[in-house]
Amino acid sequence: MASIILRDVCLDYPLYGAYDFSLKRRLLGRLAGASTPTPTIRAIDNISIEASAGARIGLAGPNGSGKSTLLRLIAGVYPASSGHVGITGNIVPLLGLNAGVNMDFVAAENISLLLRISGRKPTPAMIDEIWAFTELEERMQRLPLRMFSSGMLMRVLFATATAFPADILLLDEWLSVVDENFSAKAEQRLLKLVSQAAIVIIASHDHDLLRRTCTSIVHLDRGRIVNTVYPEIHSAYPFELREKRA
Amino acid sequence: MIPSLHSARRPSVLHIFKVYYPDLFGGTLSVIRDICAGLKDMFSAGVLVCSKSGGKSRIVVNDVAVERVRSFGDVLSLPAAPAYPLRLWRRIAEHDLLALHAPFPLADLVFALGFGRSRPLVVHWHADIVSHAALRPFIEPLMRRTLRRAEAIIVSDPVLIQNTPLLREFADKCHAVPFGIDVAKYDPPAPRLDRVNARGRLVLACGRLVPYKGFDVLVRAAFGQSFEVWIVGEGRERERLEQLIENLGLQDRVRLLGSVPESDRIKLMGIADVFVMPSVTNAETFGLVQLEAMAAGRPVVNTSLDTGVPQVARHGIEAITVPPGDPDKLAEAINTLIADPERRRRMGEAARQRAATKYSAAAFCKGIEKIYREAAAAPAPAVRASRAAAIGWPATIQIAAALAWSDMRHRYVRSLLGPFWMSIQMAIMVAVLGSVIGHLSNANAVARLPMLALSLTAWTFLNSVVLDATTALQNSASLIKDRALPPVVFLLQCVFRQALFALHNASVPLILWLVLVPKEFGGAIAALPGFALFVVCTLGLGLVLGALATRYRDLKPIIESGLMLAFLSSPIIWSTEMLNHASTVMQLNPLTHLFAIWREPLATGHVAMSSVSYVLAVVSVLAVASVITIARLRKAAFWI
Repeated sequence: MASIILRDVCLDYPLYGAYDFSLKRRLLGRLAGASTPTPTIRAIDNISIEASAGARIGLAGPNGSGKSTLLRLIAGVYPASSGHVGITGNIVPLLGLNAGVNMDFVAAENISLLLRISGRKPTPAMIDEIWAFTELEERMQRLPLRMFSSGMLMRVLFATATAFPADILLLDEWLSVVDENFSAKAEQRLLKLVSQAAIVIIASHDHDLLRRTCTSIVHLDRGRIVNTVYPEIHSAYPFELREKRA
Repeated sequence: MIPSLHSARRPSVLHIFKVYYPDLFGGTLSVIRDICAGLKDMFSAGVLVCSKSGGKSRIVVNDVAVERVRSFGDVLSLPAAPAYPLRLWRRIAEHDLLALHAPFPLADLVFALGFGRSRPLVVHWHADIVSHAALRPFIEPLMRRTLRRAEAIIVSDPVLIQNTPLLREFADKCHAVPFGIDVAKYDPPAPRLDRVNARGRLVLACGRLVPYKGFDVLVRAAFGQSFEVWIVGEGRERERLEQLIENLGLQDRVRLLGSVPESDRIKLMGIADVFVMPSVTNAETFGLVQLEAMAAGRPVVNTSLDTGVPQVARHGIEAITVPPGDPDKLAEAINTLIADPERRRRMGEAARQRAATKYSAAAFCKGIEKIYREAAAAPAPAVRASRAAAIGWPATIQIAAALAWSDMRHRYVRSLLGPFWMSIQMAIMVAVLGSVIGHLSNANAVARLPMLALSLTAWTFLNSVVLDATTALQNSASLIKDRALPPVVFLLQCVFRQALFALHNASVPLILWLVLVPKEFGGAIAALPGFALFVVCTLGLGLVLGALATRYRDLKPIIESGLMLAFLSSPIIWSTEMLNHASTVMQLNPLTHLFAIWREPLATGHVAMSSVSYVLAVVSVLAVASVITIARLRKAAFWI
């Protein structure tokens, strides 16, 4: 069963200046007895969040309030400086779609590489299914990605990233695909993915979106939880989904 | 009572310490024994310790299974038991909860390297490291890592949390659970009601004869006085103390009683007039024996340490507290008590009262039980070790291999020859170098070409792995930060990628060998183990230097020039006879031996032992460094 438990978690983000990357400086500093500790900024300050299956958590707050850092901490990118981080279930972090793309490769190869990166063994059927979702022409599967327009590229990456359900889904901003015809379909697929995941955490500036999709909204400021809001009609999205499916 | 539905089996606790009964007696051991006995209905217990005696490795002491790992004596107060960390690691999975009785750096080593994360850990903080202060800078980081990973830290007195800097860092998970004592055991035999001896002059002290207990101070205090001193206990200070007693001429009044069974010790506590605990360093955190003396209704003289010692028996109420290491003040305090039977009676009663109420065995067990229960119920992976641990090593390697494979495919995109361009480069280099070397030496240059080509291929592999690794993490920043892939994937990717390229390059020596050399396969098979070691070394170098160069950016040029120097001062292109064998730099250069272990079997069928042992030493150093690196890579996302 998927669960996330953060208890009094702090993250001190080391601010490496230009000189902090220098071993010579560091050794000389130590010899001179004037070693200064690397300055840190408390990116996450004493945050406790518990989520079990069914939780839809929205993270809101101004830029630099620690939303992305918190998502990365949950994903295991950053280790917590103190506190408990207990996570069960497989995490799919969709924090950026571009990671791992090789523009020189043909689309199909990119898809299979991206699937491998997320730990799946690609089969031709999987790739065809993903391709069908992009609504792009069959022959374009054999073209290198650098020949794609940015809209088409987004379609491919979005279709690949959202092809499989996750226990824990981490989203940094709602994945938007700007193409007009495609965006409704993309939205629907994302909603379906959200509805299938046991736990979803979304960081966003869009309050309406968070109110529509989340069971609780955590407001962050300078790494701290300011307050937690529980939107009343969090069941709105299945209706919306049903409408769109109909 | 509602019977618990799910836990018919008692959770089991593994107590981790350096020594246990019957090899030694002492305060810490009786605490472990009391915990095992007191919680036996709720937790089953096991003990893993070291032992010098070399008896049976598995014994049962007071119904508790004790496993003893062979130790070869003590080095700096630590048992030299090389097998202990491995044994501990293997035992961890068999228990539900780990109870480390600190300080015990041998176990810290296991936890600091990130092993045993699958089980919750509770640290019983018995004392700080006081005796070998010079080692502190090395041991403290280990202890800090252990404490960081622990669910809870248990100390015997709250004052320890304030006075120990290392504990202050983790104050939020420190719990003060005072040791407990069963006062009933110390009830006086019925007829002797008046327990204070009017002309009393018997002073009792108990403890292992080790320097921090300060028994030498007590012996000195007895000089020129009239009271008698009995010291119970055994230890390495015995000879020194005997010498001191003799020098001061105190043989008739100061006696070292040696080890005494617990029942006799209780009797001694009953007949003593004053109990003294002269401990001189903060290694004495609580002083369980003074609590025993209090339970027996004895007035106490203790020392004003920064630990629980003066809090357990308080100055003026249950004890007289004197400065540590001051024989005159100690003698004065003892004399005050001896001269005043009424005060002794009053203090003794207060002491027994305090032991019975504040330090009851039941409260101790209850406190420990609560902490154990909470720790055992904590979610299993307290802190995720890393994504590598979360994803698992097989998947990590698969992802790295897939990425490397795609990198190699990338070379073929828009190019027919792909990586074979590099092989052609290699062939040209071999041809040029071969002809130059042919002029330098009188040996048959053509016959040496396959070996030259093979050596260059291997060197290119090592060189490119290391150089590639120094930038690998920065180049994969988005996969690390946005897809949360473990950083070690990308260092492995370098090794796999360069291995694929090296296989392309290997076509050059292979063709030369097929064309130029009479077929003979014996040497090739003999060279395989050495070649495997070479690859392992390359992998280790790539991991360690790749991570280091990402953390410290100024290392990359140093690594580059270092590799070039190592190459030039090794017999990779020169052959040994050209260089007269004797160059010291070449003998010290690890590359020389790294190549010798597979080149020599290939050429001559045997290899020098010195090379093998040199390489094995390098491999083991790299192995340790790699383990540390992989642990450190958790923070790699901060560096890129």
